[in-house]
Amino acid sequence: MVNTAIVEELRGIVGADYVLTDPADLASYAYDGTFQERRPALVVSPATTAEVVAVVKVAARERLPITARGMGSGLAGASIAGEGGLVLSLTRMNRILEIDQENMMATAQAGVITGDLQNAVAAVGLMYPPDPSSLKHSTLGGNAACGAGGPMCLKYGVTQDYVQALEVVLADGEVLRCGGKNIKDVTGYNLVDLFIGSEGTLGIITELTVKLIPKPAATRTAKAVFPRMDDASAAVNRILLSGVLPSKLEIMDGTTIECVEDYLHCGLPTDAEAILIIETDGDAVNAQREIETAAQVCKDSGASEVQVARDAKEADELWLARRSVSGSLGRARPNKLGEDISVPRSAIPEMVRRIKEIAFRHELRIVVFGHAGDGNLHPNILFDRRDPDELRRVEEAVADIFAAAVELGGTLSGEHGVGTLKLPYLEMAVGPVAMRVMRGIKGALDPLNILNPGKVLPRELHCERA
Amino acid sequence: MTETTRLADLTHDELYLHCIRCGLCLYTCPAYLETLLEPDSPRARIALVRAAAEGRLDYSERFADRIHRCTLCTACEKVCPSGVEVEKLLVEGRADLAEAGLLSPGVRRLTESLAANHNISGEDNSRRLIWTENLPQPPLGAGKAQAKMAYFVGCVSSFFPASYSIPQSMTRLLEAAGEDYALLGEQEQCCGFPLLVSGQEPRAEEMMRHNLERVRALGADTVVASCPSCYHMWKHVYPEVLGELGLRVLHATEWLADALEQGRLKLKPLPGRVTYHDPCDLGRKSGIYDAPRRVLRQVPELELVEMRDHHANALCCGGGGNLESHNPDLSGALAERRVQQAVDTGAQYLVSACQQCKRTMANGLRLLTKKGVKARLRVMDLMELVERQLE
Repeated sequence: MVNTAIVEELRGIVGADYVLTDPADLASYAYDGTFQERRPALVVSPATTAEVVAVVKVAARERLPITARGMGSGLAGASIAGEGGLVLSLTRMNRILEIDQENMMATAQAGVITGDLQNAVAAVGLMYPPDPSSLKHSTLGGNAACGAGGPMCLKYGVTQDYVQALEVVLADGEVLRCGGKNIKDVTGYNLVDLFIGSEGTLGIITELTVKLIPKPAATRTAKAVFPRMDDASAAVNRILLSGVLPSKLEIMDGTTIECVEDYLHCGLPTDAEAILIIETDGDAVNAQREIETAAQVCKDSGASEVQVARDAKEADELWLARRSVSGSLGRARPNKLGEDISVPRSAIPEMVRRIKEIAFRHELRIVVFGHAGDGNLHPNILFDRRDPDELRRVEEAVADIFAAAVELGGTLSGEHGVGTLKLPYLEMAVGPVAMRVMRGIKGALDPLNILNPGKVLPRELHCERA
Repeated sequence: MTETTRLADLTHDELYLHCIRCGLCLYTCPAYLETLLEPDSPRARIALVRAAAEGRLDYSERFADRIHRCTLCTACEKVCPSGVEVEKLLVEGRADLAEAGLLSPGVRRLTESLAANHNISGEDNSRRLIWTENLPQPPLGAGKAQAKMAYFVGCVSSFFPASYSIPQSMTRLLEAAGEDYALLGEQEQCCGFPLLVSGQEPRAEEMMRHNLERVRALGADTVVASCPSCYHMWKHVYPEVLGELGLRVLHATEWLADALEQGRLKLKPLPGRVTYHDPCDLGRKSGIYDAPRRVLRQVPELELVEMRDHHANALCCGGGGNLESHNPDLSGALAERRVQQAVDTGAQYLVSACQQCKRTMANGLRLLTKKGVKARLRVMDLMELVERQLE
């Protein structure tokens, strides 16, 4: 329980302005990027690792659950505090500490906005590739803690592939520094990777060192319209087999196309089953050759229309439809539940077929778009949460989508994480042995179960551990 | 602000329902950038109004404080993928808070002055032409009964000494260009904007009606305003509330750009670099980005450079939405951030086209300088800069 003495003690640590207890302020930290909502008992916003340590020590002593939060753009409910919990907001820890050009690494505090880091390193000709669509409004710490991805991850890999070192505050307030600037490192267990995607349940990431790459000189973009989803899917495989590795390879299904067209009125073919948007990069000659190859493959694979952008402005126009998906969905219905199942590439057409069937069966509108190149799809269910019957059907549809993904050799989440939304399905996806190992790890690092309890794993760990 | 007459008919639902909480607005919000606390974000303000409307949260002083810590700059609306009308929602929220007796104390003082004096200054409205008193001779438009053009000066420029030079410059420019114009003098009342943004529409409407009658009495076919908020009211809100005006409504920058391009005014060279700050009410809310830049390009030897955030992305100076009345410190901090962007361009002149932006940014410059930032920068209104260059 939070009492006045604890609040005063925390104010002494971070300053009076940075401990919030008023109901209006708690309501402002009750949500993330999902439709879920739960008010924390209090919010603490530290500015340094030392302050995080001191806050964690108080929480450990008082058995107060702590939920770390970045900018609250998560899509799994991971940063929504549990009943009676403390939200630890890390947005004030927003300093880029070093850009090491020689080793091509950057070190930053957890609250640095990913897009800010990208801009800072781009100024010296470097690139930090992970590009979640929230890159302007999510933090590096949050990206690492939730294992964020993005379109460019097909070619360049996910956040995990770029995190080289971490500073983590553990459940007892100890500070762990793991990893380093060495590209190769097998000295002991890989502790850095352990914290990636751990959603604040194993420790609180306060500082990260990430790998950078030279910024490619050029990008080229193409759009291909496919009357049949199967052909689009086959084209994806053929592009990759042709030796072209696009920097982005995005797909929108027919329902997505309809939604975007309803919103933009830009002449999208609403009778098409799929649109692929392809981007290649590298030096100008290479990027051009690759986009032409990819365009030819699309034509040969049944595309009814293929367009290669001649300049940056045209490229931007081709991306407009994909960029507008989110907005078009927000305007179509009040709520959306965005899932991010990941399936083997070959299973994409079958997965889309099953999602259509699930939508029909539950009388829901579900759009599918996502990263075709890596099989990470975003089925988004559109609904109105004020309608209890519709909400029930949404929940049933989610369960069916997860079951279908797992049946096709896929998994629940490619880049959003488990949070609370996918927690009930975790065991179905990973099996009982993996669950036991995960509980063991959780128990070893957080014996008091105060770090974001109820996320990834069920809140009550003890009975299962026995 | 648009469609204010329908505010009462709009349900909260329509205004906030489509917020998908993506968080895209956070990074555009000057107040959030300052504190990095979620309650100072557009997303939180929407969530608060929604929670209150759904009966899940009571109005409180803190609630009211959070709703008033916003400049209504609408930078958030420009990026919102769902098209949530944040300004309209918050204005309605403020109206509800006012009814519940939770109007911000600073804003309450402001509105009390408006009721008593028909201006925001606390001075008697008969002093409207105080800004003309130190001129060698009164402006030609003072006391005129008939004219083609009415120059609507606005409260801040009329009563706050630091802004006197804006109408002084404007009247000299009007005269140099040979315009047949008139000032309303003590007949001018507040345009109604501060009342509207604090949710007090009926009282605003009385003043709007009064001003329109006075302009019609002059037989004018054009109203020109140097204040972007007055301009915005005349251009967009007056016709919605009062019906077709039958008047051409211009912002001073539009008039000036035309006058310069038609060769009606001749300017001396000004060697140097200038950067232009887009006032929210003129840029984002009225779509006037080019006119002031066209004016600056007419000044010989003056180089125009842009700040990091400009046009529709321009960062608010901190002076909007009654924030200065509600929380001067936060307003000042926002101004510092904006002025720093200007300092970063290496410009010698930071020019805006709004007396409130000028006031706020001049204060921001003072605060920055106090902190030891070396800024060789002069904050000016566009009218002042151009008037100084008249041949």
